[in-house]
Amino acid sequence: MTDTLEKLHDILARDYKIAPALLTADSLLEELGVDSLGVAELLFNIEDEFTITVPPEPVTLATLGDVAGYIDGLILAQSTASVAADGPVTASA
Amino acid sequence: MNAAMRRVAVTGMGVVSPLGNSVAELYRNAHEGRSGIHRLDAAFSHRLAAPLVASAEFDGSAHFEPQKLRMLDRVSQFALVAANHAIADAAPDFDALGRDRIGVFVGTGMGGSQSNDDGYKTLYGDASDRIKPFTVLLGMHNAPAAWIGIEHGICGPNLTYATACSSSAVAIGEAWRRIAQGELEVAIAGGAEAPLSLGSLKAWEALHTLAAVDAENPSASCKPFSKNRSGMVLAEGAAMLMLEPWEQAVQRGAPIHGEILGYGLTTDTGHITRPSVEGQAAAMRAALRSAGLGPTVIDAINAHGTGTQANDAVETAAIKAVFGDRAQHLPISATKAMHGHLLGAAGALECVLSLLSMQHGVALPTMHLHSPDPQCDLDYVPNTARSNIAVRTMLSHSFAFGGTNAVLVLGKGTGSCET
Repeated sequence: MTDTLEKLHDILARDYKIAPALLTADSLLEELGVDSLGVAELLFNIEDEFTITVPPEPVTLATLGDVAGYIDGLILAQSTASVAADGPVTASA
Repeated sequence: MNAAMRRVAVTGMGVVSPLGNSVAELYRNAHEGRSGIHRLDAAFSHRLAAPLVASAEFDGSAHFEPQKLRMLDRVSQFALVAANHAIADAAPDFDALGRDRIGVFVGTGMGGSQSNDDGYKTLYGDASDRIKPFTVLLGMHNAPAAWIGIEHGICGPNLTYATACSSSAVAIGEAWRRIAQGELEVAIAGGAEAPLSLGSLKAWEALHTLAAVDAENPSASCKPFSKNRSGMVLAEGAAMLMLEPWEQAVQRGAPIHGEILGYGLTTDTGHITRPSVEGQAAAMRAALRSAGLGPTVIDAINAHGTGTQANDAVETAAIKAVFGDRAQHLPISATKAMHGHLLGAAGALECVLSLLSMQHGVALPTMHLHSPDPQCDLDYVPNTARSNIAVRTMLSHSFAFGGTNAVLVLGKGTGSCET
């Protein structure tokens, strides 16, 4: 299991009181009681936990694996963007 | 009553209140004169001039799954639990009755004020833009009613009334009217309020309407009709009734807790907060007229009795204007001395207390009344409940900032009120 998925499982077990046995990469969010509105709130909480910014565009995520993959994508894109943005500043300093 | 109107029975009651979260506990505490008012023990208490509240002993996590709880402001939690109790009590078959012939009527003065307060703290206090995604759903005034509809699959009208302190009396009155006129077969009607956030408490404090702390006994700080009254105490909770046509209730063998006989509504237009004798008296007369009853059949009153200087003197004068010499002989109970002021839920809670007091043949006490006021010189049942009295028909008063005066006429519901 990836670190992202593990952290996601921890959040769902802690804040949503979902039994850890139900949490796998293939678990459907809808079956865990997290509907599309719930996903919007989950992503809001995830921003703090992973120090990322979720873009305003709607996104369709069916499974926990989908959410973890989406988070990993954002972490990668936003760390690259941050390095690119920091680059010239560092160089000029 | 108009011959075409149907009698309306109360077949279910549920409460979450500072005097208990069951109807039996509520009645026991009110009868004993116990106060639910106490010093507020919160991180922000030191910021309040008089840190007094009447809170409900209530933990939402004991009633709702975590995912659902995240979408429920405290006001909706109260409303749902009270409605669930009322419906369980009445045990209706909603499918047989027709789900689009059932309505939800909820009064609330401040809606999800705690969630809005939290949002403002984030935005202005913490200078952060991270407002929680559910803030609108938590804070909107119609959330409590909407959740009751969702929980029970109620597909008829789903209405929320915000007339400040008379909101839930209005909700019950409007529901009564629809059932009496044959528009609906069942209504869940009542009120919910959760106003004990810092923002709400400070706003009420700024209006100079809240009671000073009684140094000897903080729980006795609200003193309706007493010369030394200094204001009201904010309270939280919910009270819900299930209403249905009398004949239907009898046919299906439902428990009948009492009867809604009528409802009167007037509006004071002289001032946004100042009550008027004329407006209150006119609401009482309108209620009696709607019930087809004269003032002589009223056995007792549950007063609005907030414990503010303005209300209690005006209400006393209004009762005298309607009842004349008979006013001296009417037991008048101001139960807010015990449960505090539940604002939009107050009328519903006091309606429940009135029905319970009729069932028990009791006039509930007006507590903390030791200092007579020449302007308040009626029989307020001071400090001790009065038992073994015949109470078959009562008025329940709810008068509001904004001027909406609502009066319910309530019957014991044992065949005494066929008119």
